[in-house]
Amino acid sequence: MSPELESDTVADPNYDDEFDAIVVGAGLAGSAAALTMANRGLDVLLIERGSSPGAKNVFGGVLYTPTIRELTDFDDAPVERYVAERRFSMLSKDDETAVSLRPGEWHEKPHNDSYTVLRGDFDEWFAEQAAEEGATLLNSTTVTGLIREDGRIAGVETDRPDGTIRAPYVVLAEGGNSLVSEGANLKQTETRENVAVGVKEVLEFPQRDEVIEDRFRLTDEAGVSYHYFGEGAVGDAFGGGFIYTNEDTVSIGVAYRIEDAAAHDQSPEETLNAFKSHPAVAPLVRNARTVEYSAKTIPEGGAESIPDLVHDGAAIVGDAAGLVLNNGVHLEGTNMAVESGYHAGNAIARAADKGRVGADALQAYPESLEESFVVKNLEHYQWMMNAVEEDRDLLFEDLPRAFADAGTEYFRMDRQPKESHAKNAKSAVLSAVGGWTGAAKLALRYRKVVT
Amino acid sequence: MSWTIVVGVKQVPDADEVGIDPDTGRLDRASAPAVMNGPDREALEAAFRIRDQVGGEVIAMSMGPPNAKTVLKEAVAMGCDDAVLISDRAFGGSDTWPTSLTLARAAEALEADVVICGEETTDSSTGQVPPGIAAHNGWAQLTYAEAVDARPEEDRLAARRDVEGGHELVAADLPVVVAAAYGEFDPRPAPLHRKIYGENDFEPTVWDAEDLEIKDEVGLEVSPTSVGGMETVDPVERKGEVVDEIDDLADSIEEVVA
Repeated sequence: MSPELESDTVADPNYDDEFDAIVVGAGLAGSAAALTMANRGLDVLLIERGSSPGAKNVFGGVLYTPTIRELTDFDDAPVERYVAERRFSMLSKDDETAVSLRPGEWHEKPHNDSYTVLRGDFDEWFAEQAAEEGATLLNSTTVTGLIREDGRIAGVETDRPDGTIRAPYVVLAEGGNSLVSEGANLKQTETRENVAVGVKEVLEFPQRDEVIEDRFRLTDEAGVSYHYFGEGAVGDAFGGGFIYTNEDTVSIGVAYRIEDAAAHDQSPEETLNAFKSHPAVAPLVRNARTVEYSAKTIPEGGAESIPDLVHDGAAIVGDAAGLVLNNGVHLEGTNMAVESGYHAGNAIARAADKGRVGADALQAYPESLEESFVVKNLEHYQWMMNAVEEDRDLLFEDLPRAFADAGTEYFRMDRQPKESHAKNAKSAVLSAVGGWTGAAKLALRYRKVVT
Repeated sequence: MSWTIVVGVKQVPDADEVGIDPDTGRLDRASAPAVMNGPDREALEAAFRIRDQVGGEVIAMSMGPPNAKTVLKEAVAMGCDDAVLISDRAFGGSDTWPTSLTLARAAEALEADVVICGEETTDSSTGQVPPGIAAHNGWAQLTYAEAVDARPEEDRLAARRDVEGGHELVAADLPVVVAAAYGEFDPRPAPLHRKIYGENDFEPTVWDAEDLEIKDEVGLEVSPTSVGGMETVDPVERKGEVVDEIDDLADSIEEVVA
């Protein structure tokens, strides 16, 4: 007797309105939204254009995790190292002046919720958490547009044959280069002054083990986050450089305004190479082999650039909503992405309970985001981007040089009394900032960076 | 007229991920995820083209462990109408002889008019299984097929075969086993709703050795292949030299050639 096929195969599957929500993009914002909605019992389709979540994602390297820790069993998360040291460094052409923080508390769990991660591993894991809660992950599929019905958004179009699918809610978590949201007139294309370009290499050290531990003074799972400013980091451009330690690799990169990349004839690759060659940086990465090179655009418009976050049938989250903070001291985006996905997911779940799809029904999302650290921080530092832009020559070139000169003078070993060295050091700084009056003005202007 | 087209697919280590350790120069297979054999994707495409011509059903079959269901779900996502996994501990250690017997019995049970396979798998590269299926069933075979053309009115399938110095056009009576030449059938993208269905909601039928009544004809015991031995070849030391001037390069070449 011949065996037979089971006969419950569906000949012509159709999933229109089978899902409560479609999430465009399985990055951190998208997966946070999918996980939140799945937790609340919604059927979610999470569409990712990469062959797996994280395959297409780029960020510097430090993830701040207070919300992710709430949403997941974070002990299983594929993190690289916790951040045990933060170092801020001003680079002139040949000099470095740095401040380093290594609080003992950061060695204790949860390590100030700051970890280095590699997105290929982390995003895949985070999307899996959403899938385990019941979300359906669909890889290798690019959303190309939105479907509208009676003015409201009612689904998405993809690059696949038979490629449209309808659902009551769409969450746009497509990242900084938000072609779908822009194509559907849900947001304006960002101006070039408000977009940064980031390039990054992941380096390994093939010659021997424990190079990272030795060079960065680390034990066990501790890691570092080094930030660099000044012309030694990104030349004439507006931005900075970074080094983060992963478990077996180091992430090194620069991020600066795309306008400078275009206007100053300073290609991102050349800028990164110059940064890697700086005398204060080169010894940290010597004998390294590049295992990955990546680049991305970063929306840096701040609070003023946030588009309308909700529309009839849709919400915008993460980088697509411009939720990135870069004020020099704080460089954050992924934590805001998670936070926005979480609030959007909750708002949609609440609206779905009531069977409503209008933008007014989703208003809880922008409202709770306003109340959260995300918008508060963005608004708090909005003034800063403008101020820094005005003072860029002073901050990125004159001051780093002046501080280096001051340090050189202050510690000079010769046969002059120390008093005269201190005087020379003081005058190096004062002449850069325009005397005591200039220093006072600067201090006043930037006091809010740390307060 | 509608045909039953059965496609053999196999789960193999992802060749893109089978890296070479840059320090030792050895293959690192362990970390490679299991994926569908590349040539099998093209076999599926060849099957869909025949279905486009004559109608009917494309059914994917795979012989492998339970986790090989993934490639069958993918095959349904790509456009197959159904899929069956042939899985049994008894198959362990089977070489190409019992493997092609198993697939031949399955193709018979599915009442195949056409069986299509990739020309070989990337993990063992024997190319013996498609002709083996034909031999076990006494069916016709069209190997290294670059193009297929269904002729339902004659109950035949024609194929353009890649042969040395050109190609030949051969028509075979049904049922026929086809080995699709690699690189000739660019797989079409999976339709959206079918991809969602195949990957998430479809479950393949599972048959074991007993279902196919071949329990005593499979496994290591009845596999005639024996491995005589393996030898690792050390890489030949090559001399490297950097020259600054083109003339010096010419001199070096002359030295070697002379």
